[in-house]
Amino acid sequence: MTSHKTVTLFIQCLVDTIYPEVAEAMVRVFRQLGISLTCPTDQTCCGQPAFNSGYRRQARFAAKHFIEVFEDSEIIVCPSGSCVNMVRHHYAELFENNSQWLRRAQDLANRTYEFSEYLVDVLGVDELGARFESRVTYHDSCHLLRGIGVREQPRKLLHKVSGADFIEMHDSDYCCGFGGSFAVKYSDISNAMVTDKVKNIMDTGADVVVSCDMGCLMNIQGKLSRIGSDIKVMHLAQILAC
Amino acid sequence: MSTANQEEFINRIKMALGRPFAKSPREADLFGSEMCAETRAILERIKNRTAEDRKQLLETLIEAAGPIHLTVRACVDINAVTDAIAEVVLDKDPEWGDKKRVVAWRHPLIESLNLPAALSEQDVPVFFSDLQETDEESLRRRIIDSYIGITSADFCMADTATLVMRTRPGQARAVSLVPAIHIAVIELNRIIADLKELYALLKWDPQESKVGLTNCMTFISGPSKTADIEATMVYGAHGPREVHVFVITAEY
Amino acid sequence: MTKITTENYVAEARKAIKNEVLQRALADLQNRFGRGTAECYRRLPEGPDLRLRAHEIRMKDIENLDVVLETLAANIRKNGGQVFFAKDGQAAVNYCREVAHKHKVRRVVKGKSMVSEEIGLNDALIDSGIDVSETDLGEYIIQLAAETPSHIIAPAIHKTRYDVGSLFADKLDIPYEDDPPRLTRIARKALREKFLAADMGTSGCNIACAETGHITTVSNEGNIRMSITLPKVHIAIMGMERVTARLEDHDMLLRLLCRGAAAQNMATYVSYIGGPRTAHQADGPQEFHLVVLDNGRSRMLADEEFREMLCCIRCAACLNVCPVYAKIGGHSYGFAYSGPVGAVVTPLLVGINRAKDLCLGETLCGACQDICPVNINLPRMLLALRTKLAEGDTAWGVTAVNRKEKFLFQAWSWIIRNRGLYDVAVKLAAMGQKLLIPKGGMIRRLPPPVHAWTKERDIRPLAAESFISRWKKGIK
Repeated sequence: MTSHKTVTLFIQCLVDTIYPEVAEAMVRVFRQLGISLTCPTDQTCCGQPAFNSGYRRQARFAAKHFIEVFEDSEIIVCPSGSCVNMVRHHYAELFENNSQWLRRAQDLANRTYEFSEYLVDVLGVDELGARFESRVTYHDSCHLLRGIGVREQPRKLLHKVSGADFIEMHDSDYCCGFGGSFAVKYSDISNAMVTDKVKNIMDTGADVVVSCDMGCLMNIQGKLSRIGSDIKVMHLAQILAC
Repeated sequence: MSTANQEEFINRIKMALGRPFAKSPREADLFGSEMCAETRAILERIKNRTAEDRKQLLETLIEAAGPIHLTVRACVDINAVTDAIAEVVLDKDPEWGDKKRVVAWRHPLIESLNLPAALSEQDVPVFFSDLQETDEESLRRRIIDSYIGITSADFCMADTATLVMRTRPGQARAVSLVPAIHIAVIELNRIIADLKELYALLKWDPQESKVGLTNCMTFISGPSKTADIEATMVYGAHGPREVHVFVITAEY
Repeated sequence: MTKITTENYVAEARKAIKNEVLQRALADLQNRFGRGTAECYRRLPEGPDLRLRAHEIRMKDIENLDVVLETLAANIRKNGGQVFFAKDGQAAVNYCREVAHKHKVRRVVKGKSMVSEEIGLNDALIDSGIDVSETDLGEYIIQLAAETPSHIIAPAIHKTRYDVGSLFADKLDIPYEDDPPRLTRIARKALREKFLAADMGTSGCNIACAETGHITTVSNEGNIRMSITLPKVHIAIMGMERVTARLEDHDMLLRLLCRGAAAQNMATYVSYIGGPRTAHQADGPQEFHLVVLDNGRSRMLADEEFREMLCCIRCAACLNVCPVYAKIGGHSYGFAYSGPVGAVVTPLLVGINRAKDLCLGETLCGACQDICPVNINLPRMLLALRTKLAEGDTAWGVTAVNRKEKFLFQAWSWIIRNRGLYDVAVKLAAMGQKLLIPKGGMIRRLPPPVHAWTKERDIRPLAAESFISRWKKGIK
């Protein structure tokens, strides 16, 4: 049954600053479902960049800010699997020595969802009346797949998009090589990985590659653009909003 | 000298585990000194195995043998096994040189095959792998010069088509290793289901646990193989290139 | 210790990426074994969750390692074997040399053992004037080629059949041949002579059993059996953690090991060795020695963050799914252990600063943990290593590696707590990016320190207006 809980948008720093159209698409989808939304305007970042580079103290500042901004929300939904993974699995590590913050973090984690997970598992929705005439393929982002355990939900949603010709790519669950600062610090390896990913995408004949993480898509898009490919990258929300 | 460095070594571990120089707490069930319900059930199952069950295990064994290039043949009795072995001897040529020689375990089942007599028809000598009639050097030489090694086995695990062989006097390890062809002869009741049954028997069955694993227990699942060159599977690496298991189905 | 070249991670990675033969071989390996192993776990009667139980069993053994090792040693000695506890690689190597010397050993045959790589056993024996022959086909090939292994289970995966053909023709003085079955036959003959002539055989130990007093060796080729059956002395070297208390735990661990290592239900040969030959036995070594190696493992044991790493049974399944390993191959890791396991174990054994690229040079994608037969949380430990490199660590002797980066994240941590500051920072960046003149909507060149991104990729510029800003204005 449709839940009428208010959804609070946790939009991810990348989406906020580089791909705002993804958040706009997410808003359209929720509004279509008649769900009321809020969006704390002082949200910034979940802290993942600092955490992944080993700067836990600094990441803790971001996490505390995040908790303060979001802890009064009923439900928090985010268009990024890696951010949700950060909140669900790594906030506990950040606050393992501080029981008060740990409790607040765990409490918050229980109410934080990734976008496709929320639609399918919580709202029980997979048909949104979307129409998108294109051949599309899907990239499983690592943290969404292995951290959160979401594999079928985006596929379910894509299969219900009318006009969309969905085709699985080879090694869809292989890392695209983004890894945050890895893409800069170990750019040769990162480039080799995204080159493989782009080859797998092209082999499907798809016009669009879809994912639930803009970090991955930013990386893949950067490669597609450099090689002069016309293939577009789109977040799942953008397809569903069509 | 060795006890001193053992003490130092173990103390370093105790320190690491947070209990320096203290008597190590004995966890009651660290070595599983009490039989659990699951093990009891396994031993019961083995004990109550019917002829029908055994036939089923043989089917499982044959099925598992195919993909690993292991040949399994059911033989109705000892004579059938002897005939089958004679067939192999006739069919196959030695890997090195021309002279066919066979080496076999000194084992009641193998001795009952009367191989020396049977294979004398083909002028193929059969040596037994013990030191009754020969010395170590000569025995080693004989094994190296044999193209077929014949053994029995303590058990055969059906699910992975694995022979389980313990080591005893007269039952040399090299017999199932050095000759190019390995033939194992077992009785139907030696076939068990899997590793769980094997370990349960070795640890808890009164007869088997008395023997224990012995100082060398070997699992053999088909002929040797390797995929080290371009991940291409090749059968016949350093161990035998062919393995045949003959199962005597008559009740003993 | 064997030669350590962890500092060459980036340079070796670059070379490996350009090596088309290697790239194809690694892709093939991963397709076959990575996928194969996952399928094997699915088909287990207990399902893939057997790995979680295996983790518990391994942790229990590790947390009682003192008792377990004492029991193992006592039982092996009861069986007539000898046990030596080596605190480091040098002690282990010295012991092996002493045993070899005592028996006037001239020729040694070796079953594959990563631990023997770790301690540099081959070179030490060769220095003592002993002929050492690797007998695992892959190890034999790279020994002939004077190289190091590029994969724990398939050491010569980087060599084509043509490479091997040329190598054999050159080193074995035979006509050129490149058909794998025929090449294998050639190696079989060459190594048979070595087996028959050897005075001593060495092996590793896959998983020992304390309550019965046995080590195990696992192989498909039969080379380990040949190495430890025919010569008169057998030395087995094992990392101290490679032991279980109980026999029945081998059921789970052996099944998982075979699936993890080669997507098999069972390897061709498993040998339980509990001691030398007994009286009246017709063959087998006259002496059996077990060398139990610490070499830094007790330090891992002492640190609860890294204790879990000792659960590893060295199956190399993680190599078969790692997307980074697939590009950079084994040599990039610069030590005996490569792939995800190497990325954690190597820094802990050779020095975290020294092996810093191994800690930082992955994407934490998590594929390794998913395929690990004992469910080791490698990404967690990589993150722990990264934290030590970022902040420094006295216990492990780590100095912080990147002052500039630390400063940047310090600044970032101020900006991140204050949306107002954040907006200002983003606005400044947006102004700055105008100088980068995006072409066709994409930036083609970023400034340092992030310019490496745009070497081979473009990047989308910052949006004209942030989502939050639009939201504040009211979105339709």
